[in-house]
Amino acid sequence: MEYYEMLLPGITVVPIIGVVVLLIWRKANKKQAAIIGILSESVALVIPLVLLSVLRRNEYIVFSLPWIPNMGVSFRLSLNWLSLTFLMTEVIVTLVAMVYSLGEKTGEKHSNYYYALLLLFSLGMSGTTLSDDVFLFYIFWELMLVASVLLILVWGHGEIRFKVALKYFIFTHLGSLMVLVCLITMYVNFGTANMTEWMAQVSSLPVNMQVFMIIFFLIGFSVKMAIFPLHIWLPDAHTVAPMPVTIILAAAMLSMGTYGILRFPFTFFTLERLQPFAIWMMLAGLVSEVYGALMALAEKDIKRIVAFSSVSQMGYILFGLGTLTMRGMQGAIMHVVYHAIIKGLLFMVVGILIAITNERDIEKISGLGFKFPALCISAAIGVLGISGMPPLGIFNSEWMIFAGGFDSGVSIALTVMTLIGSLLTVIYALRFFGSIFFGKRLPEDLPKKAPLALVIPTMAVTIFLIIEGLIPGPMLTWATKGLAGIFGGIF
Amino acid sequence: MSGMLAIVLPVAILIGGAFIIYVLARLFNLNNRVEAILTVVVLAIALMALVNNYHQIEELATNPDAVFGDFSPGGIVLIPSALGIFIMIISIIVSIMITVYSGEYLMRDSRYLNYYPLILLTQAGLMGMFLSNNLFNLLLLTELSTVAASSLIAFRFNQHIAIRAGFKYLIMNSLGTMMMLLGIYFLYRSTGDVHLFHILSAPDNLTRIAAGCFLLGFSLKAGVFPLHTWVPDVYGHAPSAIGGLLAGVFSKSMLFILPVICLRLGMTYEELGTYLMVFACFNMLVGSVRMLGENLLRRFLSFSSIAQTGYLMFGLGIGFYYNLDEAFSAGLFLFMVIAIMKCLGFLASGIYQFYFRTQDITQLQGEAHRMPLVALCFSVALAGLAGIPLLAGFTGKWIIFSVALMTGDLFAIICLAIFLLTTLISLGGYLPLLVRQYQKPNEGEQVDADRQFPERVSGWLVAPIVILAILVILIGVFPGPWVSLIDYVVGWMVI
Repeated sequence: MEYYEMLLPGITVVPIIGVVVLLIWRKANKKQAAIIGILSESVALVIPLVLLSVLRRNEYIVFSLPWIPNMGVSFRLSLNWLSLTFLMTEVIVTLVAMVYSLGEKTGEKHSNYYYALLLLFSLGMSGTTLSDDVFLFYIFWELMLVASVLLILVWGHGEIRFKVALKYFIFTHLGSLMVLVCLITMYVNFGTANMTEWMAQVSSLPVNMQVFMIIFFLIGFSVKMAIFPLHIWLPDAHTVAPMPVTIILAAAMLSMGTYGILRFPFTFFTLERLQPFAIWMMLAGLVSEVYGALMALAEKDIKRIVAFSSVSQMGYILFGLGTLTMRGMQGAIMHVVYHAIIKGLLFMVVGILIAITNERDIEKISGLGFKFPALCISAAIGVLGISGMPPLGIFNSEWMIFAGGFDSGVSIALTVMTLIGSLLTVIYALRFFGSIFFGKRLPEDLPKKAPLALVIPTMAVTIFLIIEGLIPGPMLTWATKGLAGIFGGIF
Repeated sequence: MSGMLAIVLPVAILIGGAFIIYVLARLFNLNNRVEAILTVVVLAIALMALVNNYHQIEELATNPDAVFGDFSPGGIVLIPSALGIFIMIISIIVSIMITVYSGEYLMRDSRYLNYYPLILLTQAGLMGMFLSNNLFNLLLLTELSTVAASSLIAFRFNQHIAIRAGFKYLIMNSLGTMMMLLGIYFLYRSTGDVHLFHILSAPDNLTRIAAGCFLLGFSLKAGVFPLHTWVPDVYGHAPSAIGGLLAGVFSKSMLFILPVICLRLGMTYEELGTYLMVFACFNMLVGSVRMLGENLLRRFLSFSSIAQTGYLMFGLGIGFYYNLDEAFSAGLFLFMVIAIMKCLGFLASGIYQFYFRTQDITQLQGEAHRMPLVALCFSVALAGLAGIPLLAGFTGKWIIFSVALMTGDLFAIICLAIFLLTTLISLGGYLPLLVRQYQKPNEGEQVDADRQFPERVSGWLVAPIVILAILVILIGVFPGPWVSLIDYVVGWMVI
């Protein structure tokens, strides 16, 4: 076994070691717990970076260890360009959220459990991205859910968190079960849990079964993506969760649905089989985009505004995927990354706003622009970013998504409508920005400065967003390489 | 001869042990813990004898002389089966846990002298049922275990509700036994014989009616819809330890005796499979829906037990309907994990009741702060029952899923959809209960004067639940060896 194959499981093992240390070290204060969490997560970030050079040579890296031989299950991880993009997004978002937690009140009590759960949440996502064994995949998939539910339950806001967590769990579990039905159907039909080995055999399945599986996969993953009308868990979960968890939920976990669609229906089934679903995916994307934007416009709670904007943004991504064209899917992957950065930034801004004003109603916060100029600039960049203003990232991805829509030839009208629908994004984004940072100034009893631990990661993400927007080349290359295995490698 | 002895030895150990322990306890006025330890010793010896039989499964299953007794009219015939040995091994292990637990649980009861012999007799009866080839013997052994179990249920006879529960169990189960007696009558009238071994010829109507009677009788004992109504009342008011034994092992094992008899009496695989699958759906639905509104902890667990009976029937039903060995493995695997998780659930909830004198779920709020280890173990049981990955319940769910999808048939898929629906519904029961333990205790709550808040929970109570919780995790993380074990048993299963 080569050294790089041995390194791969480190991405999952190091966070587990971090979790064990945190569980044992019960007296750790918040800073100490944070150091352990950030260290483990940093190692999990460094490993894929080290493997980058190998990936350039080999295109994929596999690590496999027997686990349950009589069920054909093994501990099998695989890193390729597609998983790399998602993996990096998740790990970086978690790292930022961990640093951001330091400036928040969240996790003051039981800090070790808090950081352990953040690590587990991240582990669930990175494990899901890397798994090449169906049993393992589902375990990580559910770990992601369980860890996030626990975070909401213990550190969420208000008594309503119990109901919200339950709703979130049951609703997303419904999606998971739909995915599970498909996964086990393949598992029993092909007699192996190794997903790479499925590739050659999928075409042997009856056409009807393939169609059913595509439907189940799409609906199941759409729940995770919070596509209208399967989004109802999202606004509550995002609002009630503590801010760092909201950041991970919105910026990283939502993208797991996108990864699922690319990893399963798009990888296993042919373009011909998926073609009939193109229009439905595009339509669902459009509806979600418009609905999310309208709801964001109607909401008063600043956290819910940003939460609904996620529903809208996921609409763009599904639309991009639905085009079934190279450009559309490139755009969708890029949108995942850019959305992660921008949504992370916006939630951070919201977190700081709540921290300094202790208020969540948009009508009660105004005129903060002059008092907090740095925050205002960050928010401005975030808002312009989400509106698709060049040269910030989302402009690139939306460009690709719309180009994909026109390329697809499915429905020009739908693409035009989506394009026009994006105007709504600009409206809610500007309303958000304008009413908070301009207008009547609030009484002067506000703190003079925002907490530094909140500001530093916010500024860092802002700068990262600008750089990433200006240099979209590497992102585009990754997205292109990531799509190499889609539809049996026709691109 | 040695083979013959080996067959009867575990039963003899249990019955002999029950007798000896009772006499010793009476003579020397043994205290509760000593009696519990003696019972554990007897159970452990019986377990060793069973494990010895398990190692000889191949020889016992292939050797036609491996029969205890004779086929003369009224003769006792005991024939070992791989299935019976496996189920009894699980049952004895669960009983050992329950006995250790009772070492503390019964400290406040004065009538503990009878308790342990009754546990042994229940086990002996159950084991006899799996071994017995003569239907009349089977009936008697069923009665033995039923009477012993109902005495255990009504063990706290100074409580009106316990007497009612025991009485209800006795009445309902006697009704089941009467159905079986009726079945024997029809069978005897038709064939002039009650030895299953002999009844191989083409069945006539009377034997088919007999099969129906046995089907009803065992369904009642297993708590199959619509004959499930006694389950919540009985398990809800029996001592927790006994609830765990009956709900986890005893009633569910009836589902494994049922097919052996009904198929021999002329029921076809398809008929039995259809029956099991259709009623499995009802059980799953009724159990999981009724569970939601339940406020008493053990009644809650009883309804979840009804749903799990459904899961088991679903697995076995697929096995019969589609003649699929994998489904029998799935059924046995589920039996094993449900036995462990359910027992864990009942025992952990019993600890709450032991110290806090309440079964009310709403009163459990914040108990995790007082008893973190018990809460953790109870959470493992609930999460396991809910099918959270890396716990035994998830592997069970995975395997059931696999066999249902393996059939590729609409009937199985429809039942699977109901299965999925009910697992989702039941989440609404398990998760709030799990979470409630960790919530902050209600401010200004009127604490019952009866409640004791122990400095530390007795080791006798904690040890069994910790072991069971570890088993739940172990089976969940490494299901491989357990699946192999069950596949081996199914390989030698003769139905």
